[in-house]
Amino acid sequence: MIGAAFSWLRSRGRTGNREAAQETRRWIYAVYAKETLEVIRDRRTLLIMVVLPAVVMPMVILGISYLAQRQQHQIQTVIPRVVVVGQAPALIHLAYKTRLISPVRAKDPAAALRQHQALAVVEIPKNFEAIVARNGQAHVGILFDATDSESTAARAKVVELLSRYSREVVAARLAARHINPRDLLPVVLDQRNVATQRQQSGQLLASLLPFLLAMWAVVGGMSVAVDLAAGEKERGTLESLLIAPPSREAIVLGKFLSVVTASMGGVVVVLIAMMVSLRWGYPYMLHTTQKINVSLPFGTAVVILGVALLFSALVSAIQLAISIYARSPREAQQYITPLYFVTVLPGLAVQFVSDWARSPWAYVTPVLNAFFAFQELLLGTVNWGHLLLATVSCAFYAALALEVAIGMMSRESVIFRV
Amino acid sequence: MAGHEIPVEAENLEKRFRRYHAVRGVSFRCYAGEVFGLLGPNGAGKTTTIRMLTTILRPTAGTARVAGHDVVKDPAAVRRVIGVLPENAGIYGRLTARDVIRYAGRLYGVPSDLLRSRIASLADTLELTPHLDRVTDTFSKGMKQKVNIARALVHDPPVVFLDEPTSGLDVISARSVRDFIARFKQEGRCVIMSTHVMEEAERLCDRVAIITGGRVRAEGRLNDLVARTGLGLEEIFVQLVEQTVA
Repeated sequence: MIGAAFSWLRSRGRTGNREAAQETRRWIYAVYAKETLEVIRDRRTLLIMVVLPAVVMPMVILGISYLAQRQQHQIQTVIPRVVVVGQAPALIHLAYKTRLISPVRAKDPAAALRQHQALAVVEIPKNFEAIVARNGQAHVGILFDATDSESTAARAKVVELLSRYSREVVAARLAARHINPRDLLPVVLDQRNVATQRQQSGQLLASLLPFLLAMWAVVGGMSVAVDLAAGEKERGTLESLLIAPPSREAIVLGKFLSVVTASMGGVVVVLIAMMVSLRWGYPYMLHTTQKINVSLPFGTAVVILGVALLFSALVSAIQLAISIYARSPREAQQYITPLYFVTVLPGLAVQFVSDWARSPWAYVTPVLNAFFAFQELLLGTVNWGHLLLATVSCAFYAALALEVAIGMMSRESVIFRV
Repeated sequence: MAGHEIPVEAENLEKRFRRYHAVRGVSFRCYAGEVFGLLGPNGAGKTTTIRMLTTILRPTAGTARVAGHDVVKDPAAVRRVIGVLPENAGIYGRLTARDVIRYAGRLYGVPSDLLRSRIASLADTLELTPHLDRVTDTFSKGMKQKVNIARALVHDPPVVFLDEPTSGLDVISARSVRDFIARFKQEGRCVIMSTHVMEEAERLCDRVAIITGGRVRAEGRLNDLVARTGLGLEEIFVQLVEQTVA
């Protein structure tokens, strides 16, 4: 296969006949122009290529973050009802003072917790204040529901309340012994984040964008690839095309460019939509303690689009080869769906295998190479050797896949596969 | 066309698909200005023969020349001089009739100016002019077939292959297509047409070859065949098919 790809490239390099080369270019353009015209007139494709990434993706990404933060905010601001079993006047007084919890009484505390009438239960032992007054140690129980996020949050507030109470008791005990509480804290932490705005912005983008770019590189061209090979077979237009003078290479290249255009259309739209929504939508929708100025330098964006183009070329060529092989669009769709998972899931995994990024093999492994290149570019830690390996290998795999697609288009058994 | 007195010449063409022997040594010639009919029941090998002559299938054995070009050695040259209407040819539904014909013209390298005038002329002849800028998805089957005929002829080919050109068309559309095929003869084209409609063959074809089981069972001028056997074309056809089955 690799030999075939090299001989294919060599034969193109040797083509001396200018007229023949011009004619091939005309054929490629004619096929590309016609396929692209059909894509533009297909509402389903435009919906997937433009509307989904432009509208739905920012809504999903920002919407989920917004809802998560809204719930977090509610949990933090709401004073949870907590059943207090036993006597602890000083602790109850502190609870009212700090407004961490709202103490209530219940005949059956466990039932109140199950029925969501209270979010936690604090079990105070007998003679609690007497034990504390005698400098003893009291064991306080907390009941909560780990499957309920509100109950879990209430538990955290009870723990915080008890910690404050403990600190006050400790302070009083130390004072009685004429000991300064500071003497028990020989080390005081002073933590500062040295990451720049660019790095923090890159971190946020690196966690979102590679996955989305890969997803739209696959999804953007999927319906086009299915339609313009398997679809042509089903409609009965492929035979007329193959009887016409253009070579199989010219036909496949024209179709391939059309799939790449659709795929890159989706990628560009999702990139712009995400940048706009993260830059302007994020600060308005979300109340972060530290505002992140999400930005992507122009040069970096261009290189990212370059890598995305090569990745898109690879997945487009594979989708086209599958579509040419399939008997019908339905069969092509069935084959292409697993490809979607194979190409997109590494996008989720790549942030958890950062140790692989040190190995050159990661930059020549299909699909992973593009993800690692995206990550370096977004984090601003570009290694040009890695980038070269990733782009050259990606282009090589794309050429191989294209060669397979051309081979498929030249086989009678594939064209008349019934 | 000049210099090629026999535009289409097939000699012992054979085609096997793994174990299935679809065509078993088909030979015939077709001359300029005549309509040659390939008659036969479904599965006789007509479409496979046409596909070999139009270079989309490679013969397992035998040779064929179209306009002087060998279909195996020089398929690219063959494709430039033929116009083909495949059986059950589909159409690009999201394109207008003009887009479809123009696309074919570009694939055949017809210069832009000439392409415009050809589209206008074909549309006029096929009564497509009022519908040229309509999306073909809205067309009737007969209209789609006319667009496909225009697509097959946009480069003015000297050799035309028509595989079941009136299949599935209503009476009016079929008649219109037949009238158009009759004009090809006057224009000096060499037309090879497959059909299993005997009436159509009698009206259009100068010579026919009756194919069954992948072999030519009878070939010649219609009048000669009828005179030789004393039977009508349909009776000859039925007898040959029955002999093959027996």
